[in-house]
Amino acid sequence: MQKKRSITKIAVNAAIFIMLEVAALDMLAHNGIMQDFAVSRAVHGFMAKCWGGAQKAGYYFSLKKTNEALAEENFRLAGQVRRYKEREEAMLTDSIAASYSAQGDSGIYVFSPATLVKVSRNKQHNYLIVDKGSEDGIGQNTGIITSQGVVGIIDAVGKHYSYAMSFMNTGMSVSARLGREGAVGPLVWDGTSSTGAVLKEIPLQYKFNEGDTVFTSGYSSIFPADIPLGLTGSSKIINGATYDIKVTLLQDFNSIKFVTLVTNAGDAEIMELEKKEEDVSTENEKK
Amino acid sequence: MKNRFTTYFILLLAAQILLCNFLNISPYLMLSILPVLILALPSSIPTVGAMLIAFATGLAVDFLSEGVIGLNAASLLPVAYVRRDLSALIFGEKFNDTSEPFSVKNNGVWKMIFAILVSQTIFLLVYFWAEGAFMTRTLGFNLLRFGVSLSAGVLLSVLIAETCASQSDDIKSW
Repeated sequence: MQKKRSITKIAVNAAIFIMLEVAALDMLAHNGIMQDFAVSRAVHGFMAKCWGGAQKAGYYFSLKKTNEALAEENFRLAGQVRRYKEREEAMLTDSIAASYSAQGDSGIYVFSPATLVKVSRNKQHNYLIVDKGSEDGIGQNTGIITSQGVVGIIDAVGKHYSYAMSFMNTGMSVSARLGREGAVGPLVWDGTSSTGAVLKEIPLQYKFNEGDTVFTSGYSSIFPADIPLGLTGSSKIINGATYDIKVTLLQDFNSIKFVTLVTNAGDAEIMELEKKEEDVSTENEKK
Repeated sequence: MKNRFTTYFILLLAAQILLCNFLNISPYLMLSILPVLILALPSSIPTVGAMLIAFATGLAVDFLSEGVIGLNAASLLPVAYVRRDLSALIFGEKFNDTSEPFSVKNNGVWKMIFAILVSQTIFLLVYFWAEGAFMTRTLGFNLLRFGVSLSAGVLLSVLIAETCASQSDDIKSW
């Protein structure tokens, strides 16, 4: 009798263990959906306020470093403005280039500044919390960038704060291009350092040198093209078919605070088109 | 007595949340005191109760610090599942019946270290597996991370267990 009771106890324990473990792993697998729950959003809002206070103190003591970074960025931006002015002047003398530029600048990306309230760096699935939410016009799949690269993608949006998947997350990849006109492949975090990434699936026929710049390709609807991401390093051939190239990111995630949110104004239209295409395919399949 | 234990438990849980949020020393260090919290639960709590506490504790850390929901809950559950068997194996069959306190004084330093080492190992292995580290990071990186995290975690856990036990010598479990 006692043995029977003991077996029942073991079975019940095992059943509850399996049930809870499956529930936990399911939550883990659907992390993005879980983050969008009202409870998660409320927790993010509350924690962002707490972290914000603690980080303010930290930032106060790192003002010198921040000033130096801003001065450096100012210098770089001034250089950029100078180059644009030179290009504009050149365009005035070239009517074809001027007309191409006017058509090309469709302005579908909307940019807005934001501050990172919370950045996790030491985990496999790192994330960010940004001090902008739905009331600031931020939606899901908004990109987060700096002048030196891609930082992440907004995953869940609260009223005043948003939760984002960091580029330092093994679940994220960015469509990147080797140079301005080279091959395109997914750029993923290397999983270890705060400035390391790997550019994958580059066909063998494309030649490149160590130190070449990697840019966003513009093929995703989240990030605009030609944002510099990093510099190429050593490479290795995978299965005799493609290169995996090590990339040193220009943006060091250890010193990141101010970012730019980039929303694709045409994103809704693209989604609608994709949905229409899906509907048509389903109807065709039914027929 | 139970109130005292609950207070310690909540304080240490808050400490773990702070550790996760503000201790960003290195990607090689994943410091967790959650396994020792589960190991030190009063032995009167059955396995099902311990598993529910572990699940809730893990979720609390996931929500309030880790940002990846389910990771700590999934990693801590196996520790709760084997807790009673592990204690019986290391401290003897009587441990679970007599409600002996979880301390160096009562169980001996090596047995304590061994129990914490096993629970930390289970926790870290499930944690690394669940976050996908074995698929994306190199073996060398994972081994070094495991070694560093295990050593630091065991050391901190023994210190915590001992400090809490010495603070409450009169209570059955912490």
